[in-house]
Amino acid sequence: MRPLRIAPLVALLACARPDAAAAAGADTVVVFTAASLAVPVRAALDSFARRTGAVVQQENGASLELARRITELGRVPDVIALADQELFPQVLVPRAASWYVRFARNRMVVAFTGRSAGAARLTASNWYEVLARSGVRVGRSDPRLAPVGYRALLLYRLAEGYYRLPGLASRLEASTPPALIRPNASELVALLQAGELDYIVDYESLARANHLRFVTLPPAIDLSDPARVSDYARATVRIARRTDTTTYAGAPIVYGASVPRAAPHPAAGQHFLSYLLSPAGQAVLRAHAVDALRVPELVGDSVPPALRAMRR
Amino acid sequence: MGSRGAHRVAAAGVVAGALLLLVLLALPIAALVLRGGMTGLEQLGSDRELRHALLLTAQTATVATLVTVMLGTPLAYLLARDRVPAGTLVGALLDLPLLIPHPVAGMALLLAFGRASPAGAALAQLGLAIVGSRTGIVLAMLFVAAPLYVSAAREAIARVDVRYESVARTLGDSPIRAAWRVTRPLAGRGLLAAAVVMWARAVSEFGAIVILTYNPKVASVLSYDRFTGEGLDAALPVAAVLVILALVPLLVLRSLRAGTALGEPAR
Amino acid sequence: MIEVEALAARAGAFELRDVSFSLPHGAWGIVLGSAGSGKTTLLETIAGVRAAASGCVRLRGADVTQVVPERRGVGIVYQHALLFPHLTVEQNVCYGTHDPQHAVGLARRLGAGPLLARGVRELSGGERQIVALARALAPGPDILLLDEPLAAVDPRGRTRLRRELRALQRELSLTVLHVTHDLGEAGTLGDLAILLEGGRMLQAAAPEQLFRRPVSAAAAEFLGAENVYAGSASPLESGAGDEPGTMLFRAGSLRLVGLAAARVPIAHAVIRGEDVVLARERAGTSSARNVLEGVVSEIVKHGALARVTLEVGELPLVATVTAGSVSELGLLPGSRAVATIKATAVHLC
Repeated sequence: MRPLRIAPLVALLACARPDAAAAAGADTVVVFTAASLAVPVRAALDSFARRTGAVVQQENGASLELARRITELGRVPDVIALADQELFPQVLVPRAASWYVRFARNRMVVAFTGRSAGAARLTASNWYEVLARSGVRVGRSDPRLAPVGYRALLLYRLAEGYYRLPGLASRLEASTPPALIRPNASELVALLQAGELDYIVDYESLARANHLRFVTLPPAIDLSDPARVSDYARATVRIARRTDTTTYAGAPIVYGASVPRAAPHPAAGQHFLSYLLSPAGQAVLRAHAVDALRVPELVGDSVPPALRAMRR
Repeated sequence: MGSRGAHRVAAAGVVAGALLLLVLLALPIAALVLRGGMTGLEQLGSDRELRHALLLTAQTATVATLVTVMLGTPLAYLLARDRVPAGTLVGALLDLPLLIPHPVAGMALLLAFGRASPAGAALAQLGLAIVGSRTGIVLAMLFVAAPLYVSAAREAIARVDVRYESVARTLGDSPIRAAWRVTRPLAGRGLLAAAVVMWARAVSEFGAIVILTYNPKVASVLSYDRFTGEGLDAALPVAAVLVILALVPLLVLRSLRAGTALGEPAR
Repeated sequence: MIEVEALAARAGAFELRDVSFSLPHGAWGIVLGSAGSGKTTLLETIAGVRAAASGCVRLRGADVTQVVPERRGVGIVYQHALLFPHLTVEQNVCYGTHDPQHAVGLARRLGAGPLLARGVRELSGGERQIVALARALAPGPDILLLDEPLAAVDPRGRTRLRRELRALQRELSLTVLHVTHDLGEAGTLGDLAILLEGGRMLQAAAPEQLFRRPVSAAAAEFLGAENVYAGSASPLESGAGDEPGTMLFRAGSLRLVGLAAARVPIAHAVIRGEDVVLARERAGTSSARNVLEGVVSEIVKHGALARVTLEVGELPLVATVTAGSVSELGLLPGSRAVATIKATAVHLC
């Protein structure tokens, strides 16, 4: 009879184990990263952990999904890094976060492999013809979930104006049937590598990091140049979800990060974010093909002192 | 206390443990249905995407189950009658898909049957692809759920005395005929239960499916998609409706089992 | 007819080895042995539902060792009938035949008429066996294998079933191989008796031979011989040709003259209780070669029979006589008595 009574107690005790490390005194940092930043931030976290002995945990996903985890599920990380800094003012500020920092840039490219149909003749000037051809499998992300998804659509619209080809945008959109749409940027890479897709419209950082071949597009359309804000803004796309509709205007691709209000370990979060924004952190990001801003831009009021020093 | 008292305490402990587990399982489902059930059912009328997802889920799960029953029952039979060389090894291999994390299972399927593989190229010739297709959904469901069916079917068949088949053979039946006329009806209940388990497992699968096929969306992918895109309140009704609707075929099947007495009489 | 030669088969860890016998057409063969001796394995191998590991099975003169069971024309009835639980009695009986009328007629003849519409689970042990028999015979086989068919039947049903079986066998000219561990069943029925022990065949001979001339002490004991002595023998008179010769058997102070097959090393003497004649005193000279004096140590009565144990020297000798003779002779424990046994009743093996 005794063993019966003891068993439940033992089970309960076993569940209590995992926090032992935290209790021991080391910093814990929980980071949510946009899929396209997963690998670079992982490297930065490892480097940070080596320097400080912190315990790091990372969760990756589509940017909007990560934002929802905070606002809907109440699961709050210490640091959140998203592929579209617009999500901060749109979704997270002011309830979940009060400030954010713009820290990296990116650009849209068309990535492919040696196996891709028509790859041999692909150039920066005929990419849209190749993609629009029937039988070519082009992948892009779901615009309702991932910034890279609506950015692809904005790219198409900008291309239509740039190349002066009316109807190009809808033809390019049609080149991706629903079956080839994926929830986030990294899945596109995986499917391209697996040979399921011929071309993907994705971030340059991912193409470089995965050693994919890619076509560099004209800066007028690839959302890379901060100086062309008004040009990009001429293209808009309406993304209809069931309950609401959001209009996105073209804008340079800028990544944003923050330490949310209800972060469980705010000091540790700020510590890591400072590291990420420092020259050492920037070096790690650049080593993984992320175009880190030399001078990060802080937005918002109650920016913590540790980070305010960054402001110049 | 005396042994009587000790027995009572032990019995109470057993009951308490059982209740605890039941509560653990029932509470989240109750919460889900209570919070999202009504909204979900109301939405069914207007929400085409939801209806399509539920229909797709039911169709693909049924196809996966039927294919598995057709191919897996003979295998279960051979295993139950010990006619498979290295049967223990084969049985262990069959259980492997159950151990693989579901997204990993999806990746494995992609490697084996994706366009870049020889099998995938052959499929492409037939106009079939596993990415972004119903075929992919059925394949993923089959991979994660078929081992459950084969295991359970094997047990059900093993419980039928092999001597019944011996008698049938001496009465003129070929091995297949004997198994069909005698073992199949006697194992019928167990086989049906196994199929129900498989169907339920297929309906609930997410991780392996989403790797292969994001669109068209089955109900599990839709609920994930709604959560990501719109929030918890949008996702719950989908999940709740799925639970409620899945109860219907499960109840029907379970009552069928109770109704027949040891299988149907031979015709 | 059933012929088996050097037959071997496996059932899990159990091995049946080197079984050979020949049962003529229309004969009734009995397979005897204790539980686990391989009787069921033997039947299943002859029926073909178990593969032979080596050796051969010949039915009706043709080698059927590689033939599938559904083509061997053999019917089998298992100990617990094994009626198909999901079918009615009638459906069971008609299972293997295209002629349901014939099958039903056969069932009625065996007394299963009133049972036809019933489900299998409601039947008693005897009723099940009848149905199983009808089912096996309906397709019209000429060879029937019975695995302890009477074991699960109550005593009254047993007598009736035994009678029916005999009648059917004669009428249909069936070759029957009947397995049992019950000597009582074996005694009345068989033309050939096959004794199995531990997967090996000890002896195959007419039942009389088996009982009177068991091939070994183990066989003798299984067959219920009351007196088995261990000792040694030396020849007295040699037989003509292959016939047994007489030998002098010694076990302790016991001296017996008995028959033995020549050239077989003798280690045991077997005497059946019913072959021992008791008297109060020595008669005059008689042809009996064995006259032993002893003291009665025990008398056990079974109805009309009595089992009298006599201490002869240091060894017991059991005699089976009628209870009447016990009273007439006035035998009581402690009485002196004389036992007479013919040499032909002393079997040496």
